[in-house]
Amino acid sequence: MLVDVNTIFWLWPEIILVAVASGIYIGGTWSANRTSWAQLSLLTYVAAGFVLLSHEWSLWKIEAILPSSGPLAIDALGHWGRGLSLLVGILFTCIYWKGTDRRLSSEFLGTLMMAIAGIMLVSRANHLILLFLGLELVSIPTYMLLFVSRSGFQSAESTTKYFFLNILSSAILLYGFSFLYGSTGTMLLTGHDGVPGIHESLLSIAASGQSSAMLLTIAVVLILGGLGFKVAAVPFHFYAADVYQGASNATTGLLSVVPKIAGFVALVRLLSIAIPATQEIAWQLLFVMAILTMTVGNVCALWQQNLRRLFAYSSIAHSGYMLMGLAASTAWAVQPDTDLEISSGSPTGGLAALLLYLLFYTLATIGIFAGLSFLGSEKREVSDVNQLAGLSRRQPLVAAALAICLFSLAGLPPLGGFWGKFSLFVSTLSVSTSTPLDSMFSCFIILAVVGVLNAAIAATYYLRLIGVMYFEKPDEPLAERGDRGCWIAMSIATSLIVVLGFFPGRAMRSARTAEKVQKGRFIQILNPDEPEKAK
Amino acid sequence: MGLLLNLSLLLPLLSAVVLWFAPLNRHQVRRFALGVTLVTLLLVIIVTAGYPAQPLEGESVYASSEWSWLGGVGFAEMDVRYSVGLDGLGLWLYALSGLLMVTAVLVSWESVKERAGLFYGLLLLLETGCLGVFCARDIILFYVFFEFTLIPLFFLIGIWGSEDRRRAANKFFLYTLAGSVLTFLGLMSIVLLHWAHSGQLTFSIELLTEALRENPLTLTYQRIIFLALLAGFAIKIPIFPFHTWLPLAHVQAPTAGSVLLAGIMLKIGTYGFVRFNLPMLPDATVQWMPCLLWLSVAGIIYGALVALVQWDMKRLIAYSSVSHLGFCTLGLFSVNRLGIEGAALQMINHGISTGALFAIVGMIYERYHTREIRQLAGLAAKTPWLAFFMLLFTLSSIGLPGLNGFTGEFLILLGVFQRAWNHADAHVGGQLTVIAILAVFGVVLGAWYMLSLMQRLFFGRLQEPDQEHSDQLATNIRDLSWREFAALAPLAVMVFWIGLQPGFFLSRIDRTLTTIIEPAEESVSRVFQASNRNARRFPVESVKSKSGGSGT
Repeated sequence: MLVDVNTIFWLWPEIILVAVASGIYIGGTWSANRTSWAQLSLLTYVAAGFVLLSHEWSLWKIEAILPSSGPLAIDALGHWGRGLSLLVGILFTCIYWKGTDRRLSSEFLGTLMMAIAGIMLVSRANHLILLFLGLELVSIPTYMLLFVSRSGFQSAESTTKYFFLNILSSAILLYGFSFLYGSTGTMLLTGHDGVPGIHESLLSIAASGQSSAMLLTIAVVLILGGLGFKVAAVPFHFYAADVYQGASNATTGLLSVVPKIAGFVALVRLLSIAIPATQEIAWQLLFVMAILTMTVGNVCALWQQNLRRLFAYSSIAHSGYMLMGLAASTAWAVQPDTDLEISSGSPTGGLAALLLYLLFYTLATIGIFAGLSFLGSEKREVSDVNQLAGLSRRQPLVAAALAICLFSLAGLPPLGGFWGKFSLFVSTLSVSTSTPLDSMFSCFIILAVVGVLNAAIAATYYLRLIGVMYFEKPDEPLAERGDRGCWIAMSIATSLIVVLGFFPGRAMRSARTAEKVQKGRFIQILNPDEPEKAK
Repeated sequence: MGLLLNLSLLLPLLSAVVLWFAPLNRHQVRRFALGVTLVTLLLVIIVTAGYPAQPLEGESVYASSEWSWLGGVGFAEMDVRYSVGLDGLGLWLYALSGLLMVTAVLVSWESVKERAGLFYGLLLLLETGCLGVFCARDIILFYVFFEFTLIPLFFLIGIWGSEDRRRAANKFFLYTLAGSVLTFLGLMSIVLLHWAHSGQLTFSIELLTEALRENPLTLTYQRIIFLALLAGFAIKIPIFPFHTWLPLAHVQAPTAGSVLLAGIMLKIGTYGFVRFNLPMLPDATVQWMPCLLWLSVAGIIYGALVALVQWDMKRLIAYSSVSHLGFCTLGLFSVNRLGIEGAALQMINHGISTGALFAIVGMIYERYHTREIRQLAGLAAKTPWLAFFMLLFTLSSIGLPGLNGFTGEFLILLGVFQRAWNHADAHVGGQLTVIAILAVFGVVLGAWYMLSLMQRLFFGRLQEPDQEHSDQLATNIRDLSWREFAALAPLAVMVFWIGLQPGFFLSRIDRTLTTIIEPAEESVSRVFQASNRNARRFPVESVKSKSGGSGT
């Protein structure tokens, strides 16, 4: 892995975060004043955000790809992922402002910051090792947050489960990487300046007629297995319900957002960008996984009485929708001709849809868990659906915010979630309307139909929650005044959902710019004579 | 005009937000809501009145305005637009929404006591949705409004409904959602198939209609998409086997909710059929015409028979809606100009008369706190004006000549008979004749249950429910207050106006229908001429039998 001045320049935001996080760890031994550490971390996120903007202002606006610099991918996809993770960091700092256990005040915030830096590295990674390290930088702080967020037997159980299974998944992922390395001989995902990456090597292998299909298939399966665990996709989802139930509300929010962003960005980098058109197995696997994931998640969520368990299954289901986008984007890559998209306007591809969906899923989930932790107290978590009964009378604003987030998750217009689902279904259907392959045509029609039916099933349990909040009489009092930080995080997330729902143009354009990372490469490869458009 | 149209959409939305956050008491809230709906109605009337009586050159949409919603300049790839405008089809439904909303506010005046701010806010939100759905010119915008109406109604039913309100709200929402997500897929497939065919991605309803007229989809695609669209629209209307959510939702909803459900929401389904299925999927429509006509007539008869045996006033009128909407779909699927014209008019008629009937039932309920028909009789003696309005709307609903219902039903039946005898082959013609005759029986049944409701409630010896407070009740029963009078009078005016001067309304609908039904008419004449050479051609000059088109 080549590290030079250039690399460090592009890594400034992550460096700031890690440095301040270490500072917080050390400083925390002297001063346990949580509020000041929380202020410091907010400032840090904002500063990192400014650096991010200053780096890539031009990139954000115009171009998708800058010449990559060794292990780092300097592109709009990375930018999207980093921006999103900073937003997540800011919101969770607000949620943890007061937090659960005063003895751990500073470490908590530092650990969170490490995890955020981890997602940012994952979204920047153009190198297998960096990608893996980034994922671990997400996982290890997550174990700690999970363990300290709530004391008691349940928390220990859920942390242990998560820890062992996550280690296993990392091992599986590494094993997959080794096959990828074995068949190409390089660790770079995409090449630059004449150095071939995995993408280019696989294309040239395919062109020369040698067959490494078997190895690659194994690699794809293992990668999907490893990362499928992180995003809680179906055959690897069993931990989710138990782990979520054992954690506190705030940490459950973190768990259902942070590994998911990291996992999906990594999946995109590996499956739709690095492993190219030669791999049909990718979209077929993803097709099956998407259908299973959303159906199992939604159907299991129908009968849950524990809120965190319910949202665990709902988050599984949402992974299924996002896998749909991934399937569309990998299938799009296999398409023999890509003339259509270039001619005059094209619908969103799967990648942009996935990113958009990820954004709105993240916002709605954070909004819901911030609201739930606002309602609970240190002594008593809000865990049961019935504890929300009659909430609209006692806490009308919180109830409204929760309802908005739930409607957005259910995908009702004009909230943000609708645009996520809209893009997903458009991308799925556009694969089948433009493909010449019969199998792909019918698969994606089926995928879209199963997807919308699942959206209707999902509405059932979201509506049940809303019904409990609005249609029932309150039976037991909740803590009257919750934490202000949670309230702020909830309001920010909710208002973003509403505002972006009415004016989704900006977010959608950014997602589409990020998508060009994939398409841009194809165009480049299809027409090697065309000079690279980068500045 | 475009500005006023947008204002009429925006005003209720903003006022709803104001109502939720402003610290107003109940009286201020309802006055504010009434004020907003009245101003909106004024805007609606100005817009509607400005609709040109004669077609303008080259302009099919009136008062249109549009902005790019998703894409900015240079990124116009996913060009979803905020694009609104009216044509003859949406015009009267748009006007009806504005009108019924005032009625809805007035009938809730006393009955809504709890959380009035939330209630009127949701009502205004619903107004934006209803007005918007009829003037959306962009497929996505249409769908956004179409779905958006669910949220306020869900809360209206669930919070202020009667005893079984939670189940009703959930059932209503889930049924409609399950159907409309499939509709969404259907609409998207139209857009994307057009894109795959021509390389041009557009969400504009006009452009798509035109493009699909030039290059119709293949029959297989048309069939699949027709089914997908049918899923949502048929549940919304509701067509016969999909109607089970309707009685529950109508009965449990608060009065304003029932008025709007019956008056406007059901029309969104029929409107969708005319807007999308007929012009965009003509061949599939024609192919499934007999089947759909059977379903419609089944709905007419079934709704009427079930209404006959109801002892709950609201439930009776709810089933009468199933029956009347059966007439609407009957007209639509007879696929000729008379039938569709009649259906378009009947949508408005049904909105007025059933909306008013629900309002009247709500008024009776406010007085006696019962919906049970057996507990009440002879009310005309105490409340003559209420009886008058009830009689008027009953007669309008059963289609007395001179009132609005007559014109619509007459045209629809005419359309079906014409389709049955003049423009169909022998086999289908026979079926259609049976359908038409059954539909006529439906009219008779309709008169039966409506008149017997009228007779039981208002005529005969006075009988009031015996409750513990019966003395107090009996003395407190008053005839219509000015507020209630104001809620019903405009609807009564419309009943006479449409009844006596249907040409005024039809001429404005007519113009748009030409472009909408031409593809279907061409397709139908192609199909039936092939099998029946002697059939007389339908006298519209523009009907040409294309030889090279796709079809059966």
